[in-house]
Amino acid sequence: MKQIVADKKMSRTLKVLGLILIIFGFLLLTSKAHAAFPEKPIKIVVYTGPGGLIDISARKFAGIASKYVDVNFVVENKPGAGGIVALKKVIQAPADGYNLYACTKSNIAKFVQVGGSEYIDALNWTAMLMADPECVITHGTQDLHLWPDIVANALQNPGEQNWVGPAAGGLDHVTALKIWDAYGMDAKWIPFKSGGKALAALLGEQGVAYVGNPRDALGNADLHIAAVSSPQRLSAFPDVPTFTELGMPGLENEYMWRGFALKKGTPPEVVQWYDALFKKVTADPDWISFWSKGGLDIKYVAEEAFTTLVHEDAKIFEYYLRKSNILQDEAQGILANIASGTSFTVLSLILVMIWLLCSYGVYRSAYAAIVGRVIVIGFFLVVSILFLVQSLNFPNSTAVGPAAVPRLWIYMLIPLNLLLLFKTFRNVAEVSESGPRVDIVLNFIGFLVVYLLLMQVIGYFLSTFGFVIVGLYYLGYRKWRNIFIISGGWILFSYLIFYKTLYVPLPLGTIFESLF
Amino acid sequence: MTDLFGNLIDGLTFVMGVIPILTITLGVIMGIVAGATPGLSPSMGVALLVPFTYAMSPTLALILLVAIYIAANYGGSITAVTINAPGTPSSVVTAFDGYPLTKKGKPGMALGVSLVASTVGGIIGTLILIFFSGPLAKFALKFHPAEYFALAIFGLTTVASLGGKNWIKAFIAAMFGLLLNTVGIDPISGVSRFTFGFSFLYDGFALIPALIGLFALSEIFKQLEGGDFSTQQVAPGKQEWPTTSTYWKLKNTIMRSSFMGTIIGIFPGAGATIAAFISYDVAKRVSKHPEAFGKGSLEGVAAAEGANSSSVGGALIPLLTLGIPGSASTAVLIGALMIHDLTPGPQLFISNPDIIYGLLASLLIANVILLILGFFGARLWIKVTTIPKTVLFPLIFAVSIIGSFAVRNSFFDVAACLVFGVFGWLLRRYNYPVAPIILGMVLGNIAETNFIRAIMMGGWTVFFTRPMSLGMLVVAAASFAVPLIQARKQK
Repeated sequence: MKQIVADKKMSRTLKVLGLILIIFGFLLLTSKAHAAFPEKPIKIVVYTGPGGLIDISARKFAGIASKYVDVNFVVENKPGAGGIVALKKVIQAPADGYNLYACTKSNIAKFVQVGGSEYIDALNWTAMLMADPECVITHGTQDLHLWPDIVANALQNPGEQNWVGPAAGGLDHVTALKIWDAYGMDAKWIPFKSGGKALAALLGEQGVAYVGNPRDALGNADLHIAAVSSPQRLSAFPDVPTFTELGMPGLENEYMWRGFALKKGTPPEVVQWYDALFKKVTADPDWISFWSKGGLDIKYVAEEAFTTLVHEDAKIFEYYLRKSNILQDEAQGILANIASGTSFTVLSLILVMIWLLCSYGVYRSAYAAIVGRVIVIGFFLVVSILFLVQSLNFPNSTAVGPAAVPRLWIYMLIPLNLLLLFKTFRNVAEVSESGPRVDIVLNFIGFLVVYLLLMQVIGYFLSTFGFVIVGLYYLGYRKWRNIFIISGGWILFSYLIFYKTLYVPLPLGTIFESLF
Repeated sequence: MTDLFGNLIDGLTFVMGVIPILTITLGVIMGIVAGATPGLSPSMGVALLVPFTYAMSPTLALILLVAIYIAANYGGSITAVTINAPGTPSSVVTAFDGYPLTKKGKPGMALGVSLVASTVGGIIGTLILIFFSGPLAKFALKFHPAEYFALAIFGLTTVASLGGKNWIKAFIAAMFGLLLNTVGIDPISGVSRFTFGFSFLYDGFALIPALIGLFALSEIFKQLEGGDFSTQQVAPGKQEWPTTSTYWKLKNTIMRSSFMGTIIGIFPGAGATIAAFISYDVAKRVSKHPEAFGKGSLEGVAAAEGANSSSVGGALIPLLTLGIPGSASTAVLIGALMIHDLTPGPQLFISNPDIIYGLLASLLIANVILLILGFFGARLWIKVTTIPKTVLFPLIFAVSIIGSFAVRNSFFDVAACLVFGVFGWLLRRYNYPVAPIILGMVLGNIAETNFIRAIMMGGWTVFFTRPMSLGMLVVAAASFAVPLIQARKQK
């Protein structure tokens, strides 16, 4: 009887709780539906670390935009994979306009390279705010530094000139390819990790020309801008001729644009809100004076025209990336087939099975003492073989193809491991140093895996609080008051230092992110 | 030269004001914390603080950022010494001897030597920057990719001496690090390699999570495995600190490493890590007690710290004289200059000498402040080693997780850190040194890209037709062979 009453009470409590939750959820939804945009801070997601030009653009924009709208803009740097990491952050968030992707033309090259139209179509290309013309920079004290001389020399010595610049397949590389096509030239593109390092190579007379933006030549008298790709001469560089003036039409519109994009599906009224804001910012005198020094063209291109431009850029990038062998069709041939798709998966499984069986065989044999050592050697061998097979699929696009160096390391790893295997079997007595409590390590690894999985659901703070408590308890610490003080203290420290001071966006977990 | 001294005195007069001194002090404190926090490298420390400098005057903003940069390089050694978790890639080398000293109950000796070597290295680097930046920058510009490749190979040959008797395992670890470095989009051809279609592998493996996993996590796993975690690393009580005569004995090591660190720091891309590895290797070769290296040698700590701190001055040479970044941190500084509407490069000496000489003077002052704060701070940091292991271990796990996440705000990096931790533990169980993996990951990119660039520019023979490249390759070959021959003789 008591049980029935208790069940009824529990059921009533649950009903009341459910009702409260429904009302709360309804209120939350309706308040969201009726609220005017924006009702919370807007994140500007930047695909580089702080300090780059796109980061400076985003921060400058945030400062000036705050003059016109009463909203807090937070710049969040999400560097990685040429913008893919930041893009994923934006497209995984709701299409509510609170994540503004600060983008450049370089992103399109990367999107075409790794994601095709899928990445481009995932965004609403909201606004282009500036166009930074591409130019050819030379070393002013080198004999070959004027544009007509460079062209004449290249035509006389096809394939001999070294052009330096950042990243293969990026905007600067593609601009160089276009220039060479237009003039019928043939030269070598030597990519460097960054524009700065390429400029150092130019100053060290290791190349004839550098492709970049006019701002790159500022501050160093030895750097000379030979030609600029703009319709008219730039007011900041009045002595620099345009390609059109130099007799080559068709190269007057090569530029690096910078702008903003939102996730596809963002409500039209939000896009309109941004449209009005972009117009105000681009007309702002502070904005114009800040950017005018480097020869930039401040211009606002709205959604429709910007989207068309992005798709045109994508087509051009695809053409040149294919031409320079960076984008490739599916590789053909037996070896290439083995190195990709299902065949590769099957091969991987077979190799792993062989590795485990061999290890088990050693464990069951008289060599049981060396099974651990054999497992490690086997791991290196399996990875080496799989990487070697993968490398069969790489193209040969440069003097030394992308497969050459990985294979060099693999060709050293395999014999070294075989030698070590031989020595291990010869010297079975050499037992490795190991402690008696492997179980504790394995349990801790388990805790860590669970902790990381939980972090994605309940967020960093709660999962870490739990993990520290479990860790302390498991290691035998029993002062409960101290356990809570230590765990809470760590959470407070992480919140104040990492979350609030250093702006590390510690995960809040799917549950809390969907609630707030 | 008279102008130089006059400008420097003006700069010193400026930075001796209350506000600049407070700014430098703040920068040094923040830098030490950034360096000591696994996951926050000097470049990240500087980058994270850039937004806070927007509202400051350009000179104050720059001296704050540079103070952070200097102090972060030292800060990395603190966790390397106390818990074997190098805060920066270059402090991996400090951990080789610093952590064994802690295990022997002498963290004060390691922290003291690392502080003084860092300060002296920092001052020597700054003096070289002030007086010889012009000719050194011109020399650095003449460095061809063939020479960069030879320098990377020279760095890699230090594996031979790191490995000792276990040279095969050391080489396997280094080759594996080099192979891991090829994961991601190839910087030369633009082709994606070994990414298996995963976008989070397009940039390859980040160095910091690998560092934290291979050093910090694997160390804890190793200690957990030992079953002895009820005690403290170092019993609380009177600590042993280096005396003046201890420092005096290390003078040659510190001076030599500081000069090497500055010179290597000049070359864009080479940086503090390679400087620390090469200086350590040289120190071991010329030492009267090479057998003590890796087991708690003060010379080892001094060599690593002198080199990585002096490389800051070196990296600033191409930045200030040419407008070209010599390291990741100086790349961020260029952004900071631009934000303040200043154009980096030689013109800056003419257009804004007050800023440049204020910056140079602040470098000297920052090193002195680092010495003072570091002296008191070391006594505080040493308390970390007296925390019971039952409390320390879960907290190190928590630090490692947040540190690897902070690098790119990515869960993938956290998972990678854990995998590297387990992998490092397995390697340590079977006596593989883990440092060569980091060396391979750091030098792999420099070696590969410059190898290909050199061939594209000058064909296959370029490495042997350029005297400097040939010379370095010959030295590298000797450096590679000698430890192996010595190891064989000892057998």
